Amino acid sequence: MTDALTPNQLTLSGVSKTYGSIAALDDVSVTFEGGRIHALVGENGAGKSTLGKVMLGVETPDAGVLKWQGEEARFSTPAQANKLGLVGISQELSLMHDRSVLDNLSIGREKCIGPFIDHRATLRQAQQVMEQYDMTLDPRAMVGDLPVADQQRVEILRALNQEANLIVFDEPTARLEGGEARKLMSILRKLAEQGKAIVFISHFLEEVLSVADTVTILRNGQHVRTNPASEETRSSLVEGMTGAADQGQFPELPAVDENAEPLLVVSGATAAGAFEDISLTIRPGEIVGLSGLVGAGRSELAHAIYGAGRIDTGTIKLEGHQLSGHSVSDAVARGMALVPESRREQGLFMNRSILENVSLPYLNRFMSWLGLNGRQEVEEVRACGENTTLKYGELSDMVSTLSGGNQQKVLFARATLGEPRLLIADEPTRGVDVGAKRGIYDLIVGLAKEGLGVLLISSEIEEILGLSHRVVVLSRGRVMTELSGDEINENAVMSAAFGAK
Amino acid sequence: MMNFALLFRNYGILLVTILLFVVLAVTADGFATERNLRNILDQQSMVIIAASFMTIAIISGNFDVSVSAIFVTAPLFGLRVENMTGNVFLAVAAALAVGLIMGAINGFIVTRLKINSFIGTLATSFMFFGAGFLVSSRSLMRPESDVYRLIARSRFLGLTSATWIAIGVVIIATILLSRTRFGRNVFAVGGNMEAARLAGVAVNRVQTTAFLLLGVAAALAGVLNSSRSISAQPSDDFSFVFAVLTAVIVGGTSIAGGQGAIWRTTTAAFFLAFLNNGFNLLQIDPIWQRLIEGAVIIMAVAVDTWTKQRRA
Repeated sequence: MTDALTPNQLTLSGVSKTYGSIAALDDVSVTFEGGRIHALVGENGAGKSTLGKVMLGVETPDAGVLKWQGEEARFSTPAQANKLGLVGISQELSLMHDRSVLDNLSIGREKCIGPFIDHRATLRQAQQVMEQYDMTLDPRAMVGDLPVADQQRVEILRALNQEANLIVFDEPTARLEGGEARKLMSILRKLAEQGKAIVFISHFLEEVLSVADTVTILRNGQHVRTNPASEETRSSLVEGMTGAADQGQFPELPAVDENAEPLLVVSGATAAGAFEDISLTIRPGEIVGLSGLVGAGRSELAHAIYGAGRIDTGTIKLEGHQLSGHSVSDAVARGMALVPESRREQGLFMNRSILENVSLPYLNRFMSWLGLNGRQEVEEVRACGENTTLKYGELSDMVSTLSGGNQQKVLFARATLGEPRLLIADEPTRGVDVGAKRGIYDLIVGLAKEGLGVLLISSEIEEILGLSHRVVVLSRGRVMTELSGDEINENAVMSAAFGAK
Repeated sequence: MMNFALLFRNYGILLVTILLFVVLAVTADGFATERNLRNILDQQSMVIIAASFMTIAIISGNFDVSVSAIFVTAPLFGLRVENMTGNVFLAVAAALAVGLIMGAINGFIVTRLKINSFIGTLATSFMFFGAGFLVSSRSLMRPESDVYRLIARSRFLGLTSATWIAIGVVIIATILLSRTRFGRNVFAVGGNMEAARLAGVAVNRVQTTAFLLLGVAAALAGVLNSSRSISAQPSDDFSFVFAVLTAVIVGGTSIAGGQGAIWRTTTAAFFLAFLNNGFNLLQIDPIWQRLIEGAVIIMAVAVDTWTKQRRA
């Protein structure tokens, strides 16, 4: 590793890091250079984030050497890495919501006169940075009032409001929808053009292929290969990440009986401020994709159908039964199940057992005069785990010990325990490995084959295109268009999502 | 090492309590005698009754500071009824009903008005204490019938009725928490309220029920206390809730909600009782007792946090 020295060059050689008995990084050697966007890809637990943390001094490697500009660098704290201009934008935004944009940008970097903050100089500096990178925000706005995309800009600006030579972006687009993600990509490009080294950690392979110059693949903590992005394809990346041939992205959709009585009929549903005059139907065995930008009202509509959200006027009928004004337990009793958008915040009880997580909505069934019938509960939950290909040690294991894909399957197991007629799957593969995604797609399609109606909500356009019999596109709370069969393509969906009829 | 840490995290409070018992049995004269241990059981019965249901309330995600006020005030209502009717059974029913009503007020304030439970129950504490002064006309109250003292002081198989009632309450609370739908819902609501709501759990009902049960338990503890001393006095003394909270927290029930167990709280109550009793028998200055008790609470929580971080 004695390459010629390029500006802003960080070289890692033989870096290893173990947590307990698990090797998060195993003898990894990579070089990052200024002016380039260098993507790190791999499944969850492959070591991407750990590698990023080692570069930023958040984690100290057990073995190996870091060289910054050819000189050995040892970081035991993030502050030391910061001093060299190595900064990171983390996956979870770490902002003070009740403070202004300016306060957030300048925390720790305030201009001072003695012990007093020089407010004007601090403001001037912040504005300069905003202008330089063409990301203008009102410095007095409360961060908590800003949309997520702007909050992320604040986080980026904070990283830039100091000397920044190498910036690690850890899953920066996970919380952004399409348009905002594209804008972020052009910001990355601009930063690279200014000579900074950009490290881009992402799950979204299309994004990686379109924006990165170089791609490094990690698998189980080991370096698989580093190649120019132009030499990789989606399936070559998947193969590198999983070690198995890409089995195609989506399973084949079953045919839908066009003459079957509709399962779900929503007509004229309106909730002020969220969605307006929504009508849609789902037939048994049919997967209906609900697409639209973040904030278009998708999740609000899903929650209203499920009885967890408000609906002002309009009707919801499930198998002919009028449901308006219903509660979640009504919906569950009538045969609805929801796999919610955020499994951590809305779905799972991380510190409780798999068993309790799966059976919670359906405990009635296991009640006897002696209390819960544990044996019957275990049996039925185990069967659901099998049907959903959930992998675990014991049913008593805490959900927090499972991988992201398996945590998602716990939610599917819960849904199937209720033997529902309608499944609402809100972002079912968010934060799930590429390898495990296919398993979840197979599950959804399998349920549809059994005659369930599925309402699928996803920000990943490929998912909507690949899994839906029909696609309903929302924009600002209204149905813009409904596409089926051959009409379903990215262009049609995106232009409707952006509000073109 | 990992296994030991896990074992300690799960059963640490039990190990430490057994250890303390053994040490005191060897070093403190008169500790491991039947009489002394029976006394400890009798004295701890009230804290254990309230702490069992405080554990459930805290797992469901809420604090209840007003336990002290219910403990003080409910028996005053009970004695008022006793003085008027001479009927002890009615007196106890009235006291428990007052506990239920006070629990309902707490539940309403926290789940419907969405006031933070610590603040809300601090506020209701003052109201409940005030009600105690009103109903007692600010003076000490005594039962008219001799039967009242039998509520806590009857003996069966060598143990006081207060002890037996506490044992019954612990068993009921344990079954409620571990073998019923309500118990599962308590863990769900305290662990992740939004996920519980989306799973169809009636979040407000579960939390309100936890307050109701705790109100009744605190009133029961108050009745036993007044029966033991054959009197009740209005006050605004918060000390009871601190004894209760100490047992819950030292037991390792997470104050963030979603985690905990009745046996932990009960064990911790005995740990604290042994500690105090041992100090008395060893004639250690009460000032030192307080210092050490404070240090024990900090240690218990620190060990808990420390083992959790190691696991993560």
